[in-house]
Amino acid sequence: MTNHFIDYQHSDVWLCIGANPAENHPMAFRWITKGKEKGGKLIVADPRFTKSAAMADLYAPHRPGTDIPFLLGIMNYAIQNNLYHREYVVNYTNASYIVHPEFGFEDGLFSGFGDGGYDKASWAYTGEKDPTLEHPQCVFQLLKRHTARYDKRTVSQICGTPEDLYEEICKLYAGTGEPGKAGNIIYAMGITQHTYGSQNVRSIAMLQLLLGNIGIPGGGVNAQRGESNVQGSTDMCMLYHLLPGYNPMPNANTHPTWADYREKATPAAGYWVNRPKFVVSMLKAWYGEHATAENDFCYDYIPKIYGDHSHMAMFKAMAEGKVKGFFAWGQNPVVGGPAAIQSRKAMENLDWMVCIDLFEIETAAFWKAPDADPTKIGTEVFFLPTGCSYEKEGTVSNSGRWIQWRWKAIDPPGEAHSDLWIADRLFKAIRKGYQQGGVFPDPIVKMTWDYGDDHYDIVKVAVECNGFTVADGEPVLNFTKLADDGSTACGNWLFSGYYNDLNDPPCKRRDTVDTSGLGMYHNWSFCWPVNRRIIYNRCATRPNGQPWNPEKALFRWTGTEWIKNDVPDFNANVPPEETANNPFIMLPEGQGRFFASGMAEGPFPEHYEPIETPFKNIMSKQQHNPCAKLYADNFAPVGSEEYPYVCTTHRLIEHYQSGALTRNQPYLVELMPEMFVMISKTLAEKLHLKSYDWVVVSTPRGEIKAKLGVTPLIKPLMVHSKLTEVVCMPWHWGFQGLGRGAIANDLTPAAGDANTSIPEYKAFLCNIRKA
Amino acid sequence: MGQYGVLVDVTKCIGCRGCQTACKNWNDLPAVKTTFTADWTNPPEMNFNNITLVGFHTIEKDDKVQWRAAKVQCFHCLEPTCFEVCFVHAYNKTPEGAVVYANPEICVGCRYCQLACPFHNIQMKWDEVFSRVRKCSFCYNRLVEGLKPACVTTCPTGALKFGKRDELLQEAKERINSNPDKYFNHIYGEKEAGGTSWLYISDVPFEDLGFNTDVFQKSIPKYTWKYMKKAPILAVSLPIFFAALYAYTKRRAENEGHGH
Amino acid sequence: MFSMKKLSRRDFLKSVGLGAAGLTAFDAFGGASAEALLLQKRTDLPEFKLQYAEETPTICCYCGCGCGIIIHTKDGKVIGCQGDPDHPINEGALCPKGQAITDLSFVVEENPRRHSMFERPRVPNPERVTKVLYRAPFATEWEEVSWDWALPEIAKRVKATRDSTFERTDANGVTVNRTQAIAHLGSASIDNEENYLMHKLMRALGVIYIDHHARL
Repeated sequence: MTNHFIDYQHSDVWLCIGANPAENHPMAFRWITKGKEKGGKLIVADPRFTKSAAMADLYAPHRPGTDIPFLLGIMNYAIQNNLYHREYVVNYTNASYIVHPEFGFEDGLFSGFGDGGYDKASWAYTGEKDPTLEHPQCVFQLLKRHTARYDKRTVSQICGTPEDLYEEICKLYAGTGEPGKAGNIIYAMGITQHTYGSQNVRSIAMLQLLLGNIGIPGGGVNAQRGESNVQGSTDMCMLYHLLPGYNPMPNANTHPTWADYREKATPAAGYWVNRPKFVVSMLKAWYGEHATAENDFCYDYIPKIYGDHSHMAMFKAMAEGKVKGFFAWGQNPVVGGPAAIQSRKAMENLDWMVCIDLFEIETAAFWKAPDADPTKIGTEVFFLPTGCSYEKEGTVSNSGRWIQWRWKAIDPPGEAHSDLWIADRLFKAIRKGYQQGGVFPDPIVKMTWDYGDDHYDIVKVAVECNGFTVADGEPVLNFTKLADDGSTACGNWLFSGYYNDLNDPPCKRRDTVDTSGLGMYHNWSFCWPVNRRIIYNRCATRPNGQPWNPEKALFRWTGTEWIKNDVPDFNANVPPEETANNPFIMLPEGQGRFFASGMAEGPFPEHYEPIETPFKNIMSKQQHNPCAKLYADNFAPVGSEEYPYVCTTHRLIEHYQSGALTRNQPYLVELMPEMFVMISKTLAEKLHLKSYDWVVVSTPRGEIKAKLGVTPLIKPLMVHSKLTEVVCMPWHWGFQGLGRGAIANDLTPAAGDANTSIPEYKAFLCNIRKA
Repeated sequence: MGQYGVLVDVTKCIGCRGCQTACKNWNDLPAVKTTFTADWTNPPEMNFNNITLVGFHTIEKDDKVQWRAAKVQCFHCLEPTCFEVCFVHAYNKTPEGAVVYANPEICVGCRYCQLACPFHNIQMKWDEVFSRVRKCSFCYNRLVEGLKPACVTTCPTGALKFGKRDELLQEAKERINSNPDKYFNHIYGEKEAGGTSWLYISDVPFEDLGFNTDVFQKSIPKYTWKYMKKAPILAVSLPIFFAALYAYTKRRAENEGHGH
Repeated sequence: MFSMKKLSRRDFLKSVGLGAAGLTAFDAFGGASAEALLLQKRTDLPEFKLQYAEETPTICCYCGCGCGIIIHTKDGKVIGCQGDPDHPINEGALCPKGQAITDLSFVVEENPRRHSMFERPRVPNPERVTKVLYRAPFATEWEEVSWDWALPEIAKRVKATRDSTFERTDANGVTVNRTQAIAHLGSASIDNEENYLMHKLMRALGVIYIDHHARL
């Protein structure tokens, strides 16, 4: 989230697309409700009439997987009707940049396509700009031509949203392009879980740039995160391709040496020029006195990746017998991962697995799944019981990037221990083995790991994450104090500042006084970066430093100084003119990108159909995302007669993700006891089905059995003049726990986004019949 | 001291059921076993361990659908029938407005109160002949400590608002008057059964939320008590009748197997 | 001195009853009336459990809203919870998942013997795993083992797998120091400090198959 939940109250219009906050982020709705009381309008776009839709001023049904046309259509409307925020666009975005003359787009492909990927030479800027935005090859004109293809008629045909309703939505949302107005786009996994999920997100960001909605109170690109600490675990980069703090993982092909890494991972401009300081400080935190300038700070101790090692690639390697040992630490892939039947099968190839959790989850018990034969599975399984959130202490980061401390209320039960204790003991047990020798033991035996002997001291871990001066061990104030010469150590630069005062660590602060008057609460916990509550906040004022909306003024330039209601994302010691062309400090351009050459499948989003779809792509000959990552070949063909219905998965307020916790909580199992599938009345009539029938839902990956609910909340959509039925199912159940039911992900495809490899859970094909 | 009440604005309820869970958590009520329900209301009805329940309602009209959630519990009548009909005085109507089942040790389990409740919101066990009562107490043990009821405290969107009943009534009228196109012009609880502490406003008719709209607009004890108290035979026969009925239906259900 | 932030009951009551920001101020009764106290003594309501509760602030373990919760405990047992009235995001409110967080450790037991509100103790959630478990190859059941046995055994397997598959260099002669035979998933459900140590641990082993919820 660029903004945060409390800030939702400042929005004039919210557009919820691919998110259902009333169900999945109820406290977000607290602030939407407060905003509605002040006159704010809520738009909800969703294939189902959700609890959020029930609260909306305008609800748009749209087919799963058609977010790009929906969003580009609004952009087109705003441009054609001159409703976009021109002053913002000219000053704060790359709209005026001239693009390489050979850049082009034809029939679904951008220039440079070949061999399953793009040569991006033509996706470059020429270095010139046209502030009038008239040059035919400037980003704005390219964008205008690109989005013009998404007129309301075309969008309506693809999405199944009635044309008049869609126009009404365009009008309402594009209205936030007026200076001083704030539009807020709220999204979640309904946007990301597609083979073009990253481009869905880009579409949101571009629409917000076009309407001047980024960096302002009540605006933002607000990804509502699904887990209590998915922001923090992402910041810690439990991801194959990153080191803590979003530093790229050394790649054998591009960064064979530290010199290569320094050069290629450090851009010429933008805040990332500081990357070497962050990485060197991390290496100092990891390898202490062993890390010196002479040995490249132990750069070679860090393993090097060479390709795709993401979730689906991992299970593919497991199926091929390449992965022998597996840690499932607080995650339940047997329920939560795509193509779960194949994943369970793959796990049978493991020599050993360590599962660390509170309950005996499906992943721990994969060998006794209903479709498994334990007497034929040779995997050794260790289950290590851990403590729940209030049986230990530590921090979690919410969607708004607030790093908040959790105190410990009770001890874990029986012999269970906190995850920190387990990590500490496990490392020590492994290190002990390597102290007696082994293959290249240095990265293990030389790693700094000194958090106490018998009982770990979490403050030591926190100070290491925060960063400290090597000479005296004193915590650093924040990441501006980090150096690339080995004089500072810092586990994760983004956390720098969260534990910089041992007597009053910012992450433990509980001061309820809000000095900003805008609900920023700077003295409640700590927010990365440097306690900034709204990022890109230079955009909150005009180039001359005057707020777009004086009633919600985050900053104001008096003529001699800045009045500040948030931590500035710009140099506030200089007059506004000096920072006006650099509001997006992380980007080398310093300006927001309509045109982004870093994307795998194109600098602009373009509509492609999901991997499984009933329809041909009417926008071009290119049916699917040409760069989508496919990890299997068991997909239904376009327009499959065997699998005629669009299927999508969703969540319920009563359960959390794979249900690993909530299906063992009696209060929640009472509210939502078992797996079910929901369909429209029309489909039920056609198939002679009624509520409470047991049905079988099938896809090329497998089939599941569940109870049926027939509901008026789901209605068929008119797509390309054809009534299209959508089958909806939650994915919280499995074969373990108090509340049990079929695993929805037994049905989902192993197809991934071209940039992030996130699976396409939200749009695939199925059939349904009476059991 | 004026009586307290709660204003429920159905248009602000997102149906999260935090109130339903908070009630159980505060009152230490155990979870009950349930099965899937197609409208998501679960348990399907109030019971001995669910003294407040959020009901989900889909309202279809001219091809449009609305989805509303409404919490029900004891409405805490200004002149409670349960209190009036109880011949052993197991109930109390407190000055704060709460109707509390105060003296369980003298309750004989006659079910008068349960039958007399115009809203059918008093829970007793059907498998016991002389069951005691369980009903919403308005979190009386919180009220006397200066805390709002658990359900109100937990409501994320402010759909439940606690306050002085007369002030809430005024606010309800203002909300309706300032938005007449949105709200259905009726404050449920203003007059029903002579007035209740819990007040509801909605943008759909109350029948569509499963509310009993046939309730007398005057206080019911005035009508019922003169009949009920003259029929002491009911005190003995009704529990036996209902227990027998329950035993019969339970056996039938078991014979037919579970499921819908 | 600052490691535990425990609220006093008085602070808590004050903030819930009077301060809950943004919601209607509730003019507290100014001390319970004599009648009220008498009533409460006789009434079949749970006693006011906060009177002896210890209160610990935590952050909800579910969605990304980051709501504050006060856990009520007594003698090391959880007896309830409530939204943290001081927390700026939820201001004392909670959804059902947040409310039910108590179930993770202690659940209310059905007590068929009594109807009274007083007689339903909370018991440890019987579904929780409280012992280290081991499943041998081809076994159909778990067996209970000790940490002292399990940790060195896991370490042995990690070492055997790592050492037999470790790559010092790749085909191009680039130093890569990795194993592709060990994979790690998790987790967005655990703390930052824990994730940090897990990351360190896995990279020290040379693991490159690291992923978690953020990609799902």
